[in-house]
Amino acid sequence: MDLSLNEEQKMIAESAAVFLQEKSTTAQVRKVSETEGGLDRALWQEVVDMGWCSVALPEAAGGMGLGWRELVLLQEQMGYHLACVPFFDAVIAVTPLWKALSMSEKGLPVVERLAASGQICVLGMTVRGELPAAATVTVDGDTLVLNGQWNQVGSGSHADVFLLPATLPCGSLGLLEVSAKAQGLSVQALTTVDATRSSANVAAVNVSLTGAAVLVHGDALKKLWAQTRNLAAIGLAAEQVGVADRALNLAVNYTKERQQFGKAVGSFQGVKHRAAQMLVKVETARSAVYAAAFIADTAGDASDLTYFAAQARTDAAEAALFSTRESIQLHGGVGFTWEFDPHLFFRRAQAASQRLGTVEQWREQVAARLLDESVTEAA
Amino acid sequence: MNMQESEINEAFRAEVREWMAQHLTGKFAPLKHASGLGAEGYDAQLAKEWERELAKGGWTGLGWDTQYGGRNAPLSQQVIFHEEYVRSGGPGRIGHIGETLLAPTLMAFGSAEQKARFLPGILAGTDYWAQGYSEPGAGSDLAAIRTKANRDPATGEWVIHGQKVWTSWAHESEWVFVLARTEEASVPVASARHAGMVLLLVPIKQAGVEVRPIRQITGTSEFNEVFFDGARTDGALHLGPVGDGWKVAMYLLGCERGASTLGQQAHFRYELDLIIDLAKRNGTARDPLIRQRIAKADMGLQTLRAHALRSSREDTPFRVASVSKYAWSNWHRDLGELAMDVLGEQGELELKDPALAALQQLWLVSRADTIYAGTNEIQLNLMAERALGMPR
Repeated sequence: MDLSLNEEQKMIAESAAVFLQEKSTTAQVRKVSETEGGLDRALWQEVVDMGWCSVALPEAAGGMGLGWRELVLLQEQMGYHLACVPFFDAVIAVTPLWKALSMSEKGLPVVERLAASGQICVLGMTVRGELPAAATVTVDGDTLVLNGQWNQVGSGSHADVFLLPATLPCGSLGLLEVSAKAQGLSVQALTTVDATRSSANVAAVNVSLTGAAVLVHGDALKKLWAQTRNLAAIGLAAEQVGVADRALNLAVNYTKERQQFGKAVGSFQGVKHRAAQMLVKVETARSAVYAAAFIADTAGDASDLTYFAAQARTDAAEAALFSTRESIQLHGGVGFTWEFDPHLFFRRAQAASQRLGTVEQWREQVAARLLDESVTEAA
Repeated sequence: MNMQESEINEAFRAEVREWMAQHLTGKFAPLKHASGLGAEGYDAQLAKEWERELAKGGWTGLGWDTQYGGRNAPLSQQVIFHEEYVRSGGPGRIGHIGETLLAPTLMAFGSAEQKARFLPGILAGTDYWAQGYSEPGAGSDLAAIRTKANRDPATGEWVIHGQKVWTSWAHESEWVFVLARTEEASVPVASARHAGMVLLLVPIKQAGVEVRPIRQITGTSEFNEVFFDGARTDGALHLGPVGDGWKVAMYLLGCERGASTLGQQAHFRYELDLIIDLAKRNGTARDPLIRQRIAKADMGLQTLRAHALRSSREDTPFRVASVSKYAWSNWHRDLGELAMDVLGEQGELELKDPALAALQQLWLVSRADTIYAGTNEIQLNLMAERALGMPR
């Protein structure tokens, strides 16, 4: 397992850092989150134009044919700069679907139409990452009729297209492509604690679709969903490493400047030790994320992927929670103010810690594999 | 890693496994899974015989250059050797201070005569070395050492006065490397505290050296106090230039923090597997909190491995490398506590079952991990000041 970055990967990470440092300053992040519902349209367009959304798409589908190792480097920078773009919901979480679809003759045009278009396509998944089955599809002649509700859909209030799971008439689950403008579909934007991210409740009342709307179904969908959850968890972990690193950086910079008792507070051991403990969590979590991305790109074994995703996800979630909490503490009084930045990262860390399952849930998944006889991989 | 490489490595893995199965048996059987002094079945004389057996098999000096009698094996094979060694129950290595700390330092700083004199004995498992660094007043602040060494004008020999502590294996060793101050200092060094040092190679079995075992937290004695009262060694047996001993000593510590931790993760894996087996057997595996801790430990070890792989390259930034010691030592200390909680009420008793006793040992021995080779507090200072640039 070679976890060092090659020249191309270094370039991807560095150029993303330079670009976002300019375009996603915390002043800009605050403006977008307070006045534009958490989506920086201009920034999204630039991200699309630079090809970041198709980095891991197969070349046959117009992508760069790279993989999770490259995606995590981009996503880490997205977290570091709290970029107000739906990169997680519309790129990381749906790339496994695009990859699967691009393998088939029927799916490839769908990928070309949706993934490469710059449209925001999001999955109707639960916050915990499960595949919801409550919505139903009935048949009316040649038409499919969709009814149901999907709560707290990430980036839902900005989506152009939804990819919604529902129970098909045959009883198996299907994933349906539904335009945000479809008649009968309503999107209710929610107010979020982390205002750099948007969320919406989506409801369908007698939405009419054609058979072509079913992108994937049955066992293929179950398998794809399990894989998607693992891969998305690795992407989310990368974002959390970025968040943790930034919180550390803010704290170090502040404590180098802030004077008390006649010297910089960063010279006190009690302060230094907390910063160093943040560093330990940031760097070990980063190693875990790189290892998981390596496995995502190279290993075929689904159970390995679950294990490495759990490892990256738990390390990174803890790093982000620890580092952002400590950052507020090390800022002292100003850390409690709206004006200073630590709370922006604290909010993101907390919100992300609930996405795709908690640290405890991932650990229990691993515990079951280690300790229980005959555990089969959850579909 | 390409396919051809992995095939070669798999063949190598099989070779190690087979050799261990054939040799760690018969008279060596009691050493199986014995981690070191105090462990059930660990007899120092037998352990030395085992070292010579390893040497005969060509398993010592695996990473050494061929000009020194080594096999020049790539890092991947060294890791495989360590993994398979531990998996097969290979005992704690009594020769590791010589092989993994002193030998690379000799190769980097030693004279041709020194290399010719000392490397073969280390390789063959006939000469054992102890480390004479820490003193009662100089632990993490190693630059505060007070042991003195000066050359006798009459004979040219070095004459040493002072005291060392935490000298592992001194009672089983022929030689000790001693960091001392000398008034012969001639090399100007930026910081005065680090100037005027010399690293000496000193025979232990002589009238001027007294070794007193220290009874440790484990109840056994692997460490010693060593008193030097006019101890002597040859005038040419300083490693590197006189006055520049600090640099040589730091290089040696770098070996301690680097290559010699290779086998460590394989050993950690073995310990964790003992805990998992025990938890399944005694039912603690059904306790939701214990389950969380076991999963955390397992993934934590995988993270340590990922981090070691990420920082195994020569161009690793200090920021990345600096967290390793703190990370693994705390992980291991937590593992010791987990071991005791999985043992439960049994953990209060003196246990005869070697596997269970090993878990109690782990709990006690791991308390040293966050102290030796730089305490947690020193590690955190280093990271804050050097990796994060925080003010002194």
